[in-house]
Amino acid sequence: MSDRFRARLIAIGFLALVFVAAPAALTAFGKSYYWQVADLALIFALLAGSMHLVTGVAGLLQLGHAAFYGVGAYAAALLATKAGLSLAFTLPLAGLSAATIAVLVALPTMRLVSIYFAVATLAIGQMLYLIMLNWVEVTKGPNGIMLFSGMKFAGLDLSRPLPTYLVVAATVCVSLFVLHRLSHSYYGNALRALREDDQCADAMGVDTVRLKIEAFGVSGFFAGVAGALWAHTAGFISPPDFSFQTSILILAMVVVGGLGSLPGAVLGAFILILLPEALRPFGDFRNIAVGVVLFASILFVPKGLIGEVSALDFARRQLAGAWRRDGAGAEIGWR
Amino acid sequence: MKTKLFAAAVAAAAAFAGSAFAQDKPVVKLGYQLPLTGNTAQYGQDFRTAAEIALARFNSAGKPFKVEIVFEDSRSDAKEGVAIARKFVDDKAIVGVLGDFTSGVSMASAQVYKEAGMPQLSQTASHPDYAKISPWQFRNITTQAQEGPYNADWMKARGYKKVAIIAEQTDWGQTVVSNFADEFKKAGGQVVFSEFFNRGLADFRPLIAKIAREKPDAIYTGFFYEDAAQFLKQMKQLGVTIPVHSTSAAYNQQLIQLAGADAEGMHLTATFLPSNPDPKVQDFVTAWKAKSNGVDPGQFPAQAFDAVNIMLAAVERASPNPTREKVRDELAKTKAFPGVTGETTFGPDREPAKKLAKTVVRNGQFVAVEN
Repeated sequence: MSDRFRARLIAIGFLALVFVAAPAALTAFGKSYYWQVADLALIFALLAGSMHLVTGVAGLLQLGHAAFYGVGAYAAALLATKAGLSLAFTLPLAGLSAATIAVLVALPTMRLVSIYFAVATLAIGQMLYLIMLNWVEVTKGPNGIMLFSGMKFAGLDLSRPLPTYLVVAATVCVSLFVLHRLSHSYYGNALRALREDDQCADAMGVDTVRLKIEAFGVSGFFAGVAGALWAHTAGFISPPDFSFQTSILILAMVVVGGLGSLPGAVLGAFILILLPEALRPFGDFRNIAVGVVLFASILFVPKGLIGEVSALDFARRQLAGAWRRDGAGAEIGWR
Repeated sequence: MKTKLFAAAVAAAAAFAGSAFAQDKPVVKLGYQLPLTGNTAQYGQDFRTAAEIALARFNSAGKPFKVEIVFEDSRSDAKEGVAIARKFVDDKAIVGVLGDFTSGVSMASAQVYKEAGMPQLSQTASHPDYAKISPWQFRNITTQAQEGPYNADWMKARGYKKVAIIAEQTDWGQTVVSNFADEFKKAGGQVVFSEFFNRGLADFRPLIAKIAREKPDAIYTGFFYEDAAQFLKQMKQLGVTIPVHSTSAAYNQQLIQLAGADAEGMHLTATFLPSNPDPKVQDFVTAWKAKSNGVDPGQFPAQAFDAVNIMLAAVERASPNPTREKVRDELAKTKAFPGVTGETTFGPDREPAKKLAKTVVRNGQFVAVEN
């Protein structure tokens, strides 16, 4: 019981931080710039979290993640401008579009392993990017899409900084919770087995191909949701937002935070979004400073700022995802 | 260690005193968002140099107030551009913003400026919808809506009746073709061939052969200097000698370096010529050369120089106590502003009407011509 209690306490504390303390602090500062950076950090936390499932947990090196982010953003932008749908519809539909594309491209690549798979995802990312750039009739090509509707939900105008932040924070928290349950469970363990030795996992009766496709689809879904959030908060999207550099940025977040660790991925996203902004006063040197931080973190904490082992330990013991105990008090497995 | 600390303290005190003296005059701030790092850094760095020249002149001209420009690096990345826009909007002392470089980042940032009510003047955003976003967006680069008809009339005046058109397959290329063709047909001309190509095309020969078969009097082209050089070289290789006209997008010293003698005789429009004897232009060219190892300024730095000066003039007219609204209204009133890229007037749609210059490549140089 005390495990459960502690878990509730942590969850409440976390939610209070995101939905009370952070907005209160941001309101006190009264700077829309801070709100904007907070929204961006949350969106990238979701992107890093979604990539964590595929690259960290399932061990499939994904080099084209930004493309699914782009598919979601374009789906949301087109649904909002052409069909006049509000955020309540564009968010899930953007996720579904990205998931559909992710599953479709996952099907032919599932037999590829390690570096070959990585190169295949790189190619897929480039293909989707070129489609956004050149399918002028639909995506308007290099001219991008402007969303005049902005953030609207059930007739409410959510374009003020506070409501926008709350929408982004709520969406990201729910999404991260789902990703948490997927990666810290039997399901997550199966994905980890796949990463460590997929033949062995296969021999143990784990359907590896199905698992990989599912992980890819779920990851694509949440990347698409993040894309929809970006489209609605920025009000204008164009292909360069979803280029290869963005994929690498997301990958760097996952690696710096700790491969296979969801809190690590979130922390990595916060660092790589907040640090370049915080270093603005250093002018031209800020990119070098960010590079040095990245390099130092890989050099000194190669397992990531919050490594997988400590992340799993935290999830099990603190979040009451602890091993269920049998009558004699021996641990027998995930709750 | 102690002496170092002491030296640092003295330096800080001196800096503080210096800034205190500078505070004698009221300070007006402007924001400039531009790529200072990343793939397009070379453009942003040039903009900053041009802006610094313009600003130094303005501040040393004995005005009753002092202007500061806050430069922020957007890396041509929309997510950074939007954050910068918020930052500028938060700073109550900033009354106007310049930039960004690319249309994409300019337009993403424009959403913030539109909502917050901040005048934004881009030196280069060429997207057809940019100035339509809100009454707060301005640009001082010509669009094809002005250049196309101008070129059509010019080519008609040169006696061409049958013209072939080619342009790159981008939305800009689409506007090149449509704006030119409409006017040329209206003037009684005939467009015998019209086709798009992908930017960076290596082999123009099939296209040139097709054009030659139609026997046009001249070719009108919408491309940047890289494609222009390829096209002109391959035309020479095929022995095709049809006169070529182009837009100011191809106007770049690099064109002559890349195409060499094959660029001779190409006609194009331009808004800025470093060889222009106008003292304003020569003044800018001299100042620029002093700051950049004697290299001639291109069209883009000149655009930035004018954009900053137009903004400064609007701020001056809105003084004393300029506000964002006042600066916007004064920007909108900009009429026949004498810049290095010619005179600029903002129309009711906040698009610039510029005086275009007719030029031709002669003896390895862009030379102004009457016709």
